[in-house]
Amino acid sequence: MQAAGTPQRRPALCRVGQAQGATPAGRMLVFRMSDSSFLETREHQLRKLRLVMTDGNLTTNALSSERGVSARAWRKGYWGFASAPLVQADGAATRSRVQQQALAHATTMSRFGPRRQAPPAGARWRGEQGSAGPIRLAAREVGERLRAIDAWCRRRFTGLVAVNLLATEESHDKQLQSDQGVAARLGIERAALAIEFIGQADDGAPIQVREVLSARGGLGDLAWQPSLLEPLLDTLHGHLQAKRHAVPARGGEHTVVLAPDLAGMLAHEAMGHPCEADCVLAGAVTATRVGQPVASELVTMADLAHHWNGQELMVPVYADDEGTPAEDVVMIDRGRLAGFMHSRETAALMGQAPTGNARAYGPHDEPLVRMRNTVILPGDSTLEQMIEGVDDGYLLLRTSNGEADTTTEFMFGVSLGYEIRGGRVGRAIRDTTLSGNAMAVLASVDAVGSEMHWDCAGYCGKKQPMIVSVGGPALRARAHLGGE
Amino acid sequence: MVAGGDTPAAPALQDRAGRALERLRRRGFDQALACAVQGRHTEVSCNHNQASLLRSTETARLQLVALHDGRRASIDAVDGDLEALDAAVRALHESVLAAPQDEAHSLAAGQHLRHRRGPLGPPAGELAAGLADAMAQLLDWRAANAPKVMIEEGVATHTERRLHLLSSGGSDIACDSAWFGLSVYGCARDERGTSSADAAGGHGDRLELPTVHQAFGIADTLQALERQIVTAPLGGRFVGDVVLAPQAVGDLLDWLLEQLADEALIDGSSLYRQRVGELVASPQLTLRSRFEASPGVLPLSADFHVAAPLTLLDRGRLQALTPSLYGSRKTGLPHRPLAAGGWALDAGEAPLADLLAGVPRGAWVSRLSMGAPAANGDFSAVVKNSFRIDDGRLGPALADTMVSGNMARMLTDIVALSRERRDTGDTLLPWLRISGLHFS
Repeated sequence: MQAAGTPQRRPALCRVGQAQGATPAGRMLVFRMSDSSFLETREHQLRKLRLVMTDGNLTTNALSSERGVSARAWRKGYWGFASAPLVQADGAATRSRVQQQALAHATTMSRFGPRRQAPPAGARWRGEQGSAGPIRLAAREVGERLRAIDAWCRRRFTGLVAVNLLATEESHDKQLQSDQGVAARLGIERAALAIEFIGQADDGAPIQVREVLSARGGLGDLAWQPSLLEPLLDTLHGHLQAKRHAVPARGGEHTVVLAPDLAGMLAHEAMGHPCEADCVLAGAVTATRVGQPVASELVTMADLAHHWNGQELMVPVYADDEGTPAEDVVMIDRGRLAGFMHSRETAALMGQAPTGNARAYGPHDEPLVRMRNTVILPGDSTLEQMIEGVDDGYLLLRTSNGEADTTTEFMFGVSLGYEIRGGRVGRAIRDTTLSGNAMAVLASVDAVGSEMHWDCAGYCGKKQPMIVSVGGPALRARAHLGGE
Repeated sequence: MVAGGDTPAAPALQDRAGRALERLRRRGFDQALACAVQGRHTEVSCNHNQASLLRSTETARLQLVALHDGRRASIDAVDGDLEALDAAVRALHESVLAAPQDEAHSLAAGQHLRHRRGPLGPPAGELAAGLADAMAQLLDWRAANAPKVMIEEGVATHTERRLHLLSSGGSDIACDSAWFGLSVYGCARDERGTSSADAAGGHGDRLELPTVHQAFGIADTLQALERQIVTAPLGGRFVGDVVLAPQAVGDLLDWLLEQLADEALIDGSSLYRQRVGELVASPQLTLRSRFEASPGVLPLSADFHVAAPLTLLDRGRLQALTPSLYGSRKTGLPHRPLAAGGWALDAGEAPLADLLAGVPRGAWVSRLSMGAPAANGDFSAVVKNSFRIDDGRLGPALADTMVSGNMARMLTDIVALSRERRDTGDTLLPWLRISGLHFS
């Protein structure tokens, strides 16, 4: 028996290439589907843990577990989808029932009349994907670590109004089957810790700074032992002190150095969404720009499936929730718009190959075109060189949230930034918003950093939430800041 | 008209909640609560101006909350067989034991509610056909009246939720509610370019078929998109006025509600902690709950207290803070249960046209695309789906334009409220004219 606080590792799923059974993992079976119909079934278990400590008080201590089975049918151009909770005792009956419902739903849609649409097609994945399993900490250990971080901050830093902490863990285990040959087991796990300091500005108004750590796996895979966090907490407190005297950003277009944390957000919001094929079909301005320059030649941007530079990524997707083998999608290749992310349906509509981007968030959700690990690839500049090259501008270090548009106009909140004057970092600025037309901003990039930062803490929202990761190096560009 | 039938509440839910509460009692918790929830959701959706999908989902959840020796935890699991229930209770017990002690924890007690609202129990076949008719109507209307608009995603839905909650403190709550929903998201495009994307939608007790496009501002939103294809920057930096459309007014309201709730009250970041009874907004502003009247909203707080009607702002004066039971016990403030939504701002006296006519220089703002406001209320936002205003007249659609200001200041700088209001089910909000925003 393991003692409380000992990391627990659940039984490993097979790694790719080590699948059990007659079919080797990773083998792609290519089918041409019938023009009339097909049916796919997904069993999906979703587990979440969420602990919130507000000013030393554990205000949320919640575990949730969801298990369901869904079926999706395609008939003559229309989709039917049905789902239900999966209870062990009547699993087979439930599975059969939702399959029948999905087929009936697709048939019902024929009331809209004949629909000319190429049947979704593409390669099919058979096998199992997954890591060795998340390292989960016992609930007591999670609580103790949160209390230790809170106590350390209170001892170390005077003048803090509050310390807010959030620890989360989420895991998905999916099994896909289709009458066209898909038989896959897929797993995604991620953990995150958010640390927020509330302080008081010189004028008495509340101010805050926030740091987020994230990792693939469980909370035991995240390096958040209190002793390891001390340098990070010292740095965060330094930023809070700087924000006490923060000045408003000057509104308008400026030269900005985006720290690596922000470049991933830029990739996701600014050009990621407009390169999702469903957005392209809806009228995104990217539709007519393939092959054309949309960014500086220094910029290459991709949505990666599962590996980069020999390392497995934070949200590794070997096959998507349609069973399509996942492939890297290069959206911008040295400044030129190169390609889009596809489901099987959008690929058929646009006459291109599916890329493995069809993902469903929960047991009751249908697959949509979603990003996976979206990244701007690194260059060869250092952050110091980029700052030294700015006479009058801003260094932007942390972001809060972001939003995209079909026009490629984007915005994201900037929760931590500094002025740059004469090549040196100056005063902190108050929270602001960065915006611009993505193609214009990316075209203005004149330096790309060499050091990458990855993050998988957030959700992307698009009808359903979705776990994604973003990555990138520091960038120097021209963009619009909100301010007086 | 698409409307519901009527079926009696599922008695099984009470049995399931009772069985779970009994298991929790046997486990020896000091206080416990069990809530069995059953849901059914049906939707017809369109993508790219074409009907695409009919989707139905069923859910059965069991929410368990327990308190022991001042330690609290909760679990939300599939409502399955006895074995699954016992596993959930074991996991909950482990979480409770691992939690720190906190005297402020307590569970809802003595709460009684029987709530029944909305189009419950329509036969599945009729429901699917009705939703399909609504979607067909919407698509036909778009083709005839907003031909340049591409609806990237449109959804017509019916949602039904039934719950029964029992607690060791004698709470007994049963809610059966259902509602229809309709929403669209898209942009307009022609040879000159593409507009920004915008969305509209809401919940109601029915979908009125001949005029389904008029619900929730959908028709106005889609037709406005066609006028937003060609845009121009506002140019220059100045201080001016905005006319905020209800969607953007909702952002202001959300910020205010967060300021009055647990996290900001407990961590000390609320700007309003000491300001009950004071004027914190324009005297024209009265904000009332309509928990009972809002489709899709239960008059029940997240910690399972019955949410009584509440006037939060009375002619600009703050009437209450809204801590949960825990927040109340932690801060010493009076407990004010709130539902998850359901708010209305009283209408103003000015016609919408007068709000516009009164603006010398500024913008008509349909949507704010913004970073999360700072703790002190400072924000900056890109104005989306918006138009320039000069000398009281609407100008071209805007691009690359930002406004910045402070949320608390905006509440006090409201110049006028419109007589017209938009009802999305969740909220009933007018247009607001606000002065003193920084444009760049």
